[in-house]
Parts: sequence; C-alpha cells; structure tokens
Amino acid sequence: MTLDLITALIPMASDDGAVWLLAAGPAGGAATYWAFYRYYRNNDKSHQFERDTLIAAQPVQGGEEKVGHISKTRNSDIEGDNSDKYRQRVQRVQ
Amino acid sequence: MTQDSAEPKQPTFDGPPLSLEEELAAAKAEPEPGPSIETVNESLKDGLNRCPKCGSTDVQLRGSTGMLVCLFCRNEWQEARVEEEFGLGEGIDQLEGTVIASGAGDIAADAADQLTFKCEACGAEVVVDTAHALNARCHWCRHTLNVNQQIPNGAVPDAVLPFRLTKDEAVEKIREFASKRRLFAHKRFKKEFVPENVLGVYLPYLVIDARAESQYWGKGEVQTRRWTEKQGDNNVTYYAADVYQVARQVSFTVDDLTVEGSSERAQIGPANTNNIINTILPFDTKNAVKWNASYLVGFTSEKRDLNVEAVRPHLEDQLLSIGRSQVRASLGRFDRGVRWEQEKLDVGGSRWVSMYLPVWLYSYRQESNGMLHYIAVNARTGETMGSIPVSQPKLLLAAFTVGTFLEGIAGAILVAMA
Repeated sequence: MTLDLITALIPMASDDGAVWLLAAGPAGGAATYWAFYRYYRNNDKSHQFERDTLIAAQPVQGGEEKVGHISKTRNSDIEGDNSDKYRQRVQRVQ
Repeated sequence: MTQDSAEPKQPTFDGPPLSLEEELAAAKAEPEPGPSIETVNESLKDGLNRCPKCGSTDVQLRGSTGMLVCLFCRNEWQEARVEEEFGLGEGIDQLEGTVIASGAGDIAADAADQLTFKCEACGAEVVVDTAHALNARCHWCRHTLNVNQQIPNGAVPDAVLPFRLTKDEAVEKIREFASKRRLFAHKRFKKEFVPENVLGVYLPYLVIDARAESQYWGKGEVQTRRWTEKQGDNNVTYYAADVYQVARQVSFTVDDLTVEGSSERAQIGPANTNNIINTILPFDTKNAVKWNASYLVGFTSEKRDLNVEAVRPHLEDQLLSIGRSQVRASLGRFDRGVRWEQEKLDVGGSRWVSMYLPVWLYSYRQESNGMLHYIAVNARTGETMGSIPVSQPKLLLAAFTVGTFLEGIAGAILVAMA
C-alpha cells in the first residue's frame, strides 16, 4: 500500500513542483487510522437489502428529453451524481 | 339568594368538533378489520406443548436438526412451514392494501407483561413475564408452560425460524472474528473477552411482502466533447455535455423484506453499534415454522415493540431504494452520471408477518464510553459481524508511525530531486 502511494505521488510531484509529496505523511497516517478503525468497528457495514432480497421487477419504463447544453466545464461528471447512492433520499412527490 | 355550589358538569374534551362530512363518514365507516391472516396455533391453546407420540411436555429444540425433540421418548418433529401453511409466498403481485397476520397486529399499550398460567398437569399457577420469556417451567411438576395463545400484548409472533448453528459453532465463529482483530483491540476487552458467554436470542422482525411502483425524475448528462488546453505550464482538460431531463418508472414485488421489530435495535447511527445486528441479515425466512414456544426453550427472546404503522416509513424508504437500484441499469447512456431530484412511491399492497429470527449474540459494554459492542452470528447462515472496542492510543501511534515513514520517503525524494 505504501509503495503504491509513493509510485502514484512521484509523477504528480514532477508535474506540480513536488509540493504534493509533502501531503504523503498526513494522508498516509489518516488512511491507516481510518482503515483499521473501520476493520475493527465495522460501522459502515449494512444489510444490502437492494441485492439480497427476492425482487421481481417489470421492465423499466421512462424517457429523456434534451433540455440544455454545457459548452465548457472542468467537471468530468455531473454535479451531485446520486444514481449509485440508492439510499440517499431526494424530494418525495406525493 | 342561594347559589348552587355544584359546578355544572363539563363534557369531556375529545378534540375539536368534526365537520358534518367527517361525522357522516365516521358514522358510515366499516368497523376496523381484524387480522387478515389468522396464524394462531390452535393445537397449543392450553399452554402445554405435548409430544405427539407420548404426550410428554418436556420438549425442546434440537439445534443440529432444527426440529423439536421430546426429552422423554426422543421423538423428533417440527411445525409446518408458514410459507405453505399460510400461503405467504403466493400472490405478491396481486396484493391489495395492508394485509396483517394476527401475530403482527398492534401491540396493546395497556396489556400487562406478566401472565399467570395454570399448569394443566398439576394445577399450580406459574407466572410468565412475557417481556423477557415466553415459556416457564412449572416449579412443581416440571411441565413447560408456553405462551402459545396470541395474547393481545403483541408478545407472540406468527412464526419462528429455529436455531441451526449450535453454541459451540457460534463460539468458534466469534473467537475467529475477534482473534483477527487483536492488535488494536482495547486492552480491557482482550482481558475480559469470553466468547463462551454468547447468548442465543430470538429477535423480533417484521417480514414483509410488497407490491410497489416507484418513479424518479432528475437530470442526466452525456459527454459530447473532451479537449485539453494549455494554461501556463499545465494542461487543463475541459468537457462539453448535453443535459437531459430523465424520468424512470418501475413496478416490482419484494418477497420477505426483513425489518427490525424492536425500536431499540431499529435506531442505527454513530451513537450505537446496532448496525451489526442489521448486517447479519438476510435469514432464510422461507423456512420459518408455525409458532410454537417450545422452539424457544433454552434461548432468550425479545418482544416486538414496533407496530406496522411505525415501520411503514422504513418500508417505503427501502422500497424507494430498491426501485432506484432497479432503474440503475437503464442509465448507461448518461456517461457523466444522473442526479435524481424527485421520487414517488405507490405501494399497491403489503403483507406483514411477525417472526422471531435466531441470533447468537456476544455483547460487551465498553466502560470508558458506555457503548455496547456486539459480535452477532446469524444462527442459520453463520454470517458473523461485530464491533470491537479500539485502543485509540495504539491506533494513533500506528497512524503516526506510518505517516512519519511516508513523510521521510517524500523528503528523501524531494532532496534527491533538488
């Protein structure tokens, strides 16, 4: 893990004047703490009912309509992508 | 002039007056329907569970086979599976409204937990505290008295899933789980860890079949162009994209969605470790059998304290999540992702069954912060999950050591480059 991190940081250092390398210590320390804490306490774990329940679904229906165009942005993804965050609730329509 | 000392009697206030339409509707309303599925085990109404072969009441669960065994004549048998007995696996796609089995009915708040049973064998009176156990031994003749009637305090569920894993197997699973996490475990926990103290517990769950339709609206983006521009010494990547208004809709049925029936366990958050119990789901609920308290002999059990209405928001939340996961595959076109903004759920019908599910539970209370840590083993599948108290000084020292080591390497690289 440590070696991977260093090999990832070396090319970044040559691009941005090596300043990034100084973040290796704090980032590595925090990652170590977080990884072990999670392994011991497992407070991120949950039953995956979306996957583990017997579900029979009809074919998905729906449509899409073009409503705009972004001509230039630095973001590689849509802002606030929640298509994979099934449990994040959005406005409920009655 | 004399004044009447007696105050005129005031009518009891029972809320603001109803409008005429509401009064009429209330008068015409049908009486509240009773349970839609009657799951009472009629053969056990006298509180005695007799061996069908010899009539002895000394009956308990044999963990290795999941069957009841008569300790007198060694006869083994089991109750019918509720799946077939009450047709629970069928007709989910035709469910209408809320169908509630008798054991999942509302809990009567004023019903007492203490019930007195008259022993049918010798006539002694035995008290059963239904908050903690659903059976007790007659202290005179050693008959086991079971709470088999579905008394109105919600203590008796519709079905029970018998233990399959033995205590020794559970101890082994717990020991294995904890031994992998010894290095940074709290010193006191390591000293006090005794996996043999594991308890077999039946936890109360509501098992739900439902038919639903969910709809989602949001924005999706499709990348149309990607290019890089030079800004000073750096290359910056830019993107162009088309924005779409996206709508999706899916109809589905779920079979045996399992939701906590205990309010204490249903609250999951950073303040407790309740997620551990939730994590060992799912159970093979299809193998649950008709209620018979003899399955509980030797185990503790917890009473359900959440009614169907209290669990309904939780069910709706889970159905919305399931719908979202179902429509995920239809979004492949939107390579920059989709942001859902609105959602809607129509639950066409749901069927609720109250069930006891078996868990081997090791719990440890951390003195320093009062937190209760669990290691739980699913007593059907053997799935094990737990929370081990962490020694913060040890963990911080490890993090600091790794950080210092990395910083040292980074410094060496910088010096070499300079």
